[in-house]
Amino acid sequence: MKGKQIQSKDKHIHQLAAIVANTRSILYKKEDLLAYDCDGFTIHKHLPKAVVFPKNTKEVAELVRYCCQNELPFLARGAGTGLSGGAIPLNGEVIISLVKMKNLISVDLENRRAVVEPGFVNLKLTNSISDKGYYYAPDPSSQSCCTIGGNVAENAGGAHCLKYGVTTNHILGLEVVVPTGEIIEIGDNGIPDAPGYDLLGLITGSEGTLGIVTKITVRILKNPEAKQTVLAYFDDVTDGSQAVSAIISAGIIPAALEMMDKTAIEGVEAAAFPVGHPKNIAAVLLIEVDGISAGIEEQINQILSVCRQFNVRDVKVAQDEQERSRWWANRKTGFGAMGAISPDYLVQDGVIPRSKLPEVLERINQISEHSGLRIANIFHAGDGNLHPLILFDAKIPGETEKALEAGSACLQACAEVGGTITGEHGVGIEKREEMRFVFNEEEIAAQTTIRSVFNPVNLLNAGKLFPSPGKCVEIKMEKKAAIL
Amino acid sequence: MIIEGGGTKKGFGGLVEHADICLSLKDYKGIVEHNPGDMTITLKAGTSYLEVQNYLAGFNQMISLDPFANEHTSIGGVIAANDSGPKRLGYGSARDAVIGMRLVYPDGSLIRAGGKVVKNVAGYDMNKLFIGSMGTLAVISEITLKLRPVANYQSLVLISFPAGNLDVIKQFVVTVLDSLMEPITLELLSPTLAAKLTGRREYTAAIQFEDVESSVHYQTTYLENLKPEGGTFTILQQEDANLFWQAFYDLYPGLNAENKTKSAALKVGLKNMEVLELLEVTERLESGQIHLLAHGGLGHGISQVYLYGESDRILSAIQEIRKLTSAKGGYAIVKHLPFSERLKINIWDESPSYFFLLKQIKAKVDPNNILNEKRYVGGI
Amino acid sequence: MTQSAVKSSPACAETSLSNYFAKDHPDEKKWDDCVHCGMCLESCPTYEITGQEQHSPRGRVHLIKSVAEGKIALNESFSDPVFACLDCRACTTACPADVDVGGLIEEARGQIRQAMPLKGWKGNVSKLFLQGLFPHENRLNTVGSLIRFYQKSGLQTTIRKTGMMKVMPKHLVEMEAIMPKVNKPVRKKYKKDQVLKAKGESKAEVAFMTGCIMDVMFSEINEATINVLRRNGNDVTIPEKQTCCGALHVHAGDRETGKKLAKQNIAAFETSEKIILNSAGCGCMMKEYKELFKDDQEWYDRAEAFSAKVEDISKYLYDTGYEIPKSELNTKITYHDACHLAHGQGVREQPRDILLHIPGVEMIHMPNADRCCGSAGIYNITNPEMAGEVLESKMANVPEDVEMISMGNPGCMLQMAMGVKKYGKNQKVVHTVQLLDWAYQKEDQEAKQ
Repeated sequence: MKGKQIQSKDKHIHQLAAIVANTRSILYKKEDLLAYDCDGFTIHKHLPKAVVFPKNTKEVAELVRYCCQNELPFLARGAGTGLSGGAIPLNGEVIISLVKMKNLISVDLENRRAVVEPGFVNLKLTNSISDKGYYYAPDPSSQSCCTIGGNVAENAGGAHCLKYGVTTNHILGLEVVVPTGEIIEIGDNGIPDAPGYDLLGLITGSEGTLGIVTKITVRILKNPEAKQTVLAYFDDVTDGSQAVSAIISAGIIPAALEMMDKTAIEGVEAAAFPVGHPKNIAAVLLIEVDGISAGIEEQINQILSVCRQFNVRDVKVAQDEQERSRWWANRKTGFGAMGAISPDYLVQDGVIPRSKLPEVLERINQISEHSGLRIANIFHAGDGNLHPLILFDAKIPGETEKALEAGSACLQACAEVGGTITGEHGVGIEKREEMRFVFNEEEIAAQTTIRSVFNPVNLLNAGKLFPSPGKCVEIKMEKKAAIL
Repeated sequence: MIIEGGGTKKGFGGLVEHADICLSLKDYKGIVEHNPGDMTITLKAGTSYLEVQNYLAGFNQMISLDPFANEHTSIGGVIAANDSGPKRLGYGSARDAVIGMRLVYPDGSLIRAGGKVVKNVAGYDMNKLFIGSMGTLAVISEITLKLRPVANYQSLVLISFPAGNLDVIKQFVVTVLDSLMEPITLELLSPTLAAKLTGRREYTAAIQFEDVESSVHYQTTYLENLKPEGGTFTILQQEDANLFWQAFYDLYPGLNAENKTKSAALKVGLKNMEVLELLEVTERLESGQIHLLAHGGLGHGISQVYLYGESDRILSAIQEIRKLTSAKGGYAIVKHLPFSERLKINIWDESPSYFFLLKQIKAKVDPNNILNEKRYVGGI
Repeated sequence: MTQSAVKSSPACAETSLSNYFAKDHPDEKKWDDCVHCGMCLESCPTYEITGQEQHSPRGRVHLIKSVAEGKIALNESFSDPVFACLDCRACTTACPADVDVGGLIEEARGQIRQAMPLKGWKGNVSKLFLQGLFPHENRLNTVGSLIRFYQKSGLQTTIRKTGMMKVMPKHLVEMEAIMPKVNKPVRKKYKKDQVLKAKGESKAEVAFMTGCIMDVMFSEINEATINVLRRNGNDVTIPEKQTCCGALHVHAGDRETGKKLAKQNIAAFETSEKIILNSAGCGCMMKEYKELFKDDQEWYDRAEAFSAKVEDISKYLYDTGYEIPKSELNTKITYHDACHLAHGQGVREQPRDILLHIPGVEMIHMPNADRCCGSAGIYNITNPEMAGEVLESKMANVPEDVEMISMGNPGCMLQMAMGVKKYGKNQKVVHTVQLLDWAYQKEDQEAKQ
């Protein structure tokens, strides 16, 4: 493959190939590009112009400068596991894939930090330091495949962010190629609070619209001394939701507090990792506490008594690590598991104040009835992050639209109770229009103004994150076209 | 226009003495919304920080920040200046606690950033832009914070190192950090600062634990077994720990009205273990002409240095400290210095390489340069 | 699936299986479950090496679907990623929705071979091995005898000395270097359809599938398997009509030969109660025979009944119970999961359990033990470059201080032996059942003394 001639008449392809200096590091044939026409969000698809695989920051910067000079739209991509379409080349972008930049550059246990390249896979970091008793906290469900660069772009969360925070709380430094090609280093040596506006915080979660991250300094944590995991079954969703609030109000911050409703339980039990949840149960809570061993028992007892106060049917404490990991596998593969009970599903990502859980679940129930589609709920109950999974069959004409409508209605319900439209999946393409549920025109303009500082001609990942002012009609048409 | 809250950070930056308008938010105070079940609170910017903490204590909740504050300090000021203390190790800083803001832009428009929920990735994380921006981009009018439960029990362990051997201290600290204990602070006090707070002029580690009682005792016992030879080991429990911290925060020169001599304060950022070197430098600089108090977090790398003496002595000591920080890739921001002296020194230390972006952000958000002129990095 | 027109141009906006041939095309239901989540990516050895998604499971599924949607044709650019797949099935383990990527790949390969028959040296090699050799017992035996002669006569040394090896392609030279010591195949040694009685009381009757390469190249493993079965109360028969399982053919896209061989085996074992084998690749194929007969109900049913009887030796021993050897082997080993055992048949714990119960065997964990070694049937012959890189990353995981690497598949054994040779470690590559047999033999010897 190396040394194979580039078979393209497009001069840009030759130039881009010259920058990455290896014909194996560029894809440009339709058959190869097809694999890049979408990410984990599959409702929109578009072919990129090319996919290039730089090996270092210098090549990234050169690629960016080349695209800039030649007005080629471009975007960065990691593992492409994003759920909102942030890495979809809507405008036929040149995709700068960072998966070849996958080194763990350094680990500094004394100062509790590690430096990684953006293509380094999330779980590999924990695997590399776990023998010394350390780990990297953000744990999105896709952590076995997703890259830390992608996590930074999306400000990824995970089941354990209730206690430990999301990606932005664990980023100490970034090297970034800004859309004009300059390389900047924020948070030299990973020292916090560097003088100047907090670009670290701004770029984290900017969904690849402000720059391309080429090096990341992250905080690493010591493993907790002890962990305990509890399953609690409720006959009534409201009881379950109230237990969630009550646990946290009791002064406990669990490491994780997850909930699944009846439909979700049906799905996970029918899929690859069943654990034997009772069939006729309305809700299950998966609660994990960690910390100092001497304090764990007290916390568990408190949790058990709160659950009993809210009419729990049954509670179990995991007896060993095996049981604990079975419970987690059952939960973490929950989305994919819906494949077992429905041909297609659409996952939403609203967040609400915890106390509104019963109210919003009822609203979602109504939305389900109204649309005629089943909705399963799997969510990070502790921080109010709901994942309604709208089950549908794309082969039935009209069902995809119905599902999209129902999804949007769920987000509206979240926004109306003072919540937001996305807690960890990002806006991407999917929720551009729904941004209007939470921000007005001026507020959106305030954000696009910041974008224009970094990304003046908007060549980098254009068309994401924000509704285009005055173009709402166009977007709706586009949405329709994608469905048809 | 100059923006002001409780006025406790007047010595922090600012090269313009007069402005057309001083916008005081002192009276713009109060709780907009507090939902104990959601553990979030929305406050008007001028609300007294300590008053809110007292109010929240009634719900067994707290804002998980520990700035250097007195009764005048406003929450808006704490956030705008991104102030934090030793408990940052366990709690995080303003960027971890703030979940939403309401801002008045220089053109008068009202802009919301973030929201009321603890997890939110809708749009850019605009909150981050205003935290620590010293009011140079917008006037913060409301702040929404996530709260933490107040721990059932707390103990503060003070361990002194009379020999002053930094290698021994480092060894001890590394062992603590590598253990499974979960300290809320791991602050090293310089001998001069320890003398003021404990009466012993020895390097002293202040290690706080907050958890259920059994867990706190378990951890203090663990430390006791670890304590180095010759050092003293003191445990301050519950209210005693609070009293210690109160005395500790009160030493901050910006709050200390009785302080007649000239004073200055630095916020120093280094890599965690480099804090030791900073404290060594301050100890070396201590002389009849200048007095320095210092403390630094070995788990997070942020230190504070207080300097007392004649202004030229202070300025040259700052230069000495900056020699260390620039060699290490860190920084030393002058957090407190009388106005006349501020003109003689670069308050914000070296501007970062990406200063061009900061300048453009300011230019786009505040094109007419209305807000807090020259208060910030590189003359922004 | 309603329409499957033969290479007709697609009707406008019609998502039929347009660019596939009508017969035996990839199964729509298989890709329907794929939601493109990407959980498969890191499990895939070819994605790990290339970092390119057309070389990832979800990318391949996406491409296979795209042909059906008429977006691309059955051409070279489609063929590359589909044939670069190792068919290791690691993605099946990783997939939360149980998408049968391996099945799709095999079906797609069948289509590609219909559209573009192999030419050049790859075609020749493929034809020689797949059609000319594996299905023919006596030809295989001849080759085996030749190798035996070659090794015994000292010719091996002569050829190596004369430098004839230099003219062979590099990867074939490497393969020659690790050719196992060849003994007489068990199918020649034992009389046809003879019942090899259990030692002691007979508890069960099993039929033994010898495998074609296994029997010629690794007959001592077959010997060991028979010994172990007999020792544990099994009467063993070796049905005469059995033939190559067809896995290599199906992997290569030659589904027609695959079907022929499958039918012959189904018929050969029709009267057997239990079919035991020691080759993971064959076992996995034989458990999936019905995939070949989706359009043929009668054979589909017979295949299903056949597959239910197929069992890997390690699982069979583990399930039915076996005698734990009393003699100590005193060795440090590690275990490599053959893809078609771990991912293909879900057999992971059983062989480990057997090894751990042999006294004196210390087992060192191999990181990523269920990562493909790059053998993948004849992949290491057809895609040497990729196979070499996969092997290199595999060998990096072999613990330093082990004396043996145990596994349950002949292809892996050849490949790993090559790895041992190439990367300068001198571990012995063994089959799990061999270790057990050695322990029994040692016990018997000690009893005699």
